Amino acid sequence: MHTSDTDRQDQEVLELLRDYPMATADAAFYDQALVRATHEGSQRQRNRWIMTGFGSAVAAGIVLWLVSGVFLTAPSLPQPDAGIPGIAMTLEEPRTVNLVFASTSALDAATLTVTLPEGIELAGFPGQREIAWQTSLVEGKNLLPLELIALTPAGGEVLARLEHDDRDRTFRLRIEVS
Amino acid sequence: MLKSLHATRNSQSLPEIRSIDNRAKTFDALVRPHFDRLYRLAFRLTGRKAEAEDLFQELLIKAFGKLDDLVAIDQPGSWLSRVMYNLFIDEQRRFARRRMHTVDEGFLPGDGLDGLAGSENPEKDQQRFEKLQQLDAALAQLSDEHRVVVLLHDTEGYKLEEIHDLTGVPVGTIKSRLHRARARLREILTESGTFS
Repeated sequence: MHTSDTDRQDQEVLELLRDYPMATADAAFYDQALVRATHEGSQRQRNRWIMTGFGSAVAAGIVLWLVSGVFLTAPSLPQPDAGIPGIAMTLEEPRTVNLVFASTSALDAATLTVTLPEGIELAGFPGQREIAWQTSLVEGKNLLPLELIALTPAGGEVLARLEHDDRDRTFRLRIEVS
Repeated sequence: MLKSLHATRNSQSLPEIRSIDNRAKTFDALVRPHFDRLYRLAFRLTGRKAEAEDLFQELLIKAFGKLDDLVAIDQPGSWLSRVMYNLFIDEQRRFARRRMHTVDEGFLPGDGLDGLAGSENPEKDQQRFEKLQQLDAALAQLSDEHRVVVLLHDTEGYKLEEIHDLTGVPVGTIKSRLHRARARLREILTESGTFS
């Protein structure tokens, strides 16, 4: 049974609860939490391409093929670099090559075709010189990891052709095998 | 016909294109407006700053992994709160164990008291601080279910329906927990001589 004392105490409990203090986040906490989330969240999705820093990419055995340049009016396909970038591979030693496509707009259902020279294979697709599949690009930088294996010392050019609607762009990567 | 037919799948799937930078930016734009509320929720759930920040971090990592879902959600704040609550429930044993250790060691379960602002009346401040310390200790004696409900409703101002959306607990049960939690707090505070 409630008494006036009980009512007063209830009121006081409510007032205390309203005053119950709150910890505050440190100034940099939110930013740090975001950075960690985007890194760890990506890793948890088995995005093997996430490295601690792209500056150390070459040292880590990753080659970036950064495609930039002038973009067409949207919707547009990313432009290939004027020069042909190259990498050196060791015979029969798998190497992941990360291709970076910069796109000014999202591209749904784009078709990507990778054409490999004789003696270079995409891991998991033995004996296939041309591999094509549909994919989507988001606005901004998009990364495609390709694990390549050189089976002969011949080397050659890897072509990655991106097609969307009735347009296409071809990117080239020169491979030397030692 | 899709050109993917050109590829004969063997031991691994086709390489997948992933965005490097825009996912992070999109994620930032979606979640940042809710940070303060989520931080408060994390602190109310766990009762300690370090644990709240662990929980907050876990939420962001999980949410980033579900960015494609998050983008399509009308009210990401509510969704994020629910995910945080579920993470807390999943980790409840760990948090509860730490809280017990804390009480055993004689420390207050909440560390927000350190940040209390003073006024021009030090004597009154001291009384208020002592009462809040006692409330802090009393809250630590409640079950998680009761403590969370009373803090969300009476301290954070959540409506019963919002607590229902967050926890999935029926409103009637929430009302009952709230009533019992307040009564238990009154009882503990009376026993400790908090009320004059």
